Amino acid sequence: MTETHDEARLIAAARRGESRAFAALVDAHQQAVRGFLRRFTGHWADADDIAQEAFVTAWRKLDTFEGRSSFRSWVCGIGFRIARDARRSHDRASVRDTDWLVEIDDAQDGAPIEDRMALAAAMATLPDEQRAAVALCLGEGFSHSEAAAILKLPLGTVKSHVTRGRERLLKALEANDG
Amino acid sequence: MDKEARLLRALGAPAAPKRDARFVLAVMRDAETARFKKASVLAVLRGAGFAAAAAALAVPFLGSTSAGGAALQSGAVGAGALLTLVLALRVMTGRAAAVRR
Repeated sequence: MTETHDEARLIAAARRGESRAFAALVDAHQQAVRGFLRRFTGHWADADDIAQEAFVTAWRKLDTFEGRSSFRSWVCGIGFRIARDARRSHDRASVRDTDWLVEIDDAQDGAPIEDRMALAAAMATLPDEQRAAVALCLGEGFSHSEAAAILKLPLGTVKSHVTRGRERLLKALEANDG
Repeated sequence: MDKEARLLRALGAPAAPKRDARFVLAVMRDAETARFKKASVLAVLRGAGFAAAAAALAVPFLGSTSAGGAALQSGAVGAGALLTLVLALRVMTGRAAAVRR
């Protein structure tokens, strides 16, 4: 059975009210959604709260999911809008938490903590949509088209955000060397 | 190391959080709470609707067959309100039982 077919079966079951099926969907996609939101918000605890809210919203609105994008993209989109609105109303960006960067095992991915900290600081300076595009495409491996659907932006705008964001992050790494 | 590779490594997928069963449980708990709230509100509204409809049907009938029509009318409205209250209490009791489970 393919992964897509399996996901469609789980979505259909969740729509019928089977909470176990929805729990399986949450389990399968939590890493991507939480990872994206951690990079976007720069705040671990807030990101997980928002991811939780995004999944609950997805559960409530599952009937409106048309299947034009993947379930993962759909929930990321919901999470992005919740996070963006929360930032606008509470200015969550003022308090950023980078503890989660330290938690990651250096040996696992080989990225030095200095690089991660420099990137987290540089990410915080990017405009919201640019940071979201970078987090999705460079951080989580979404395609430009998927990111465009999630962020509800034209494809060209997303490509431009990723290119410019990448340039600024590379400059931050260079500055960190000096 | 190549700058691009360094960037992707520092920003990349390995930085994603690990799968966490507690996260799934927290989502499902919130989802069930949200679903229960919605069901409770619908049940109360449905009960109130039935009570109001029953009172509206009873009032003209009681008013036309009794000499003390005004007193009976207010009694019927009171009964409708009482029925609504009972239904609301039933829903709240059910919720408390669900939380205990």
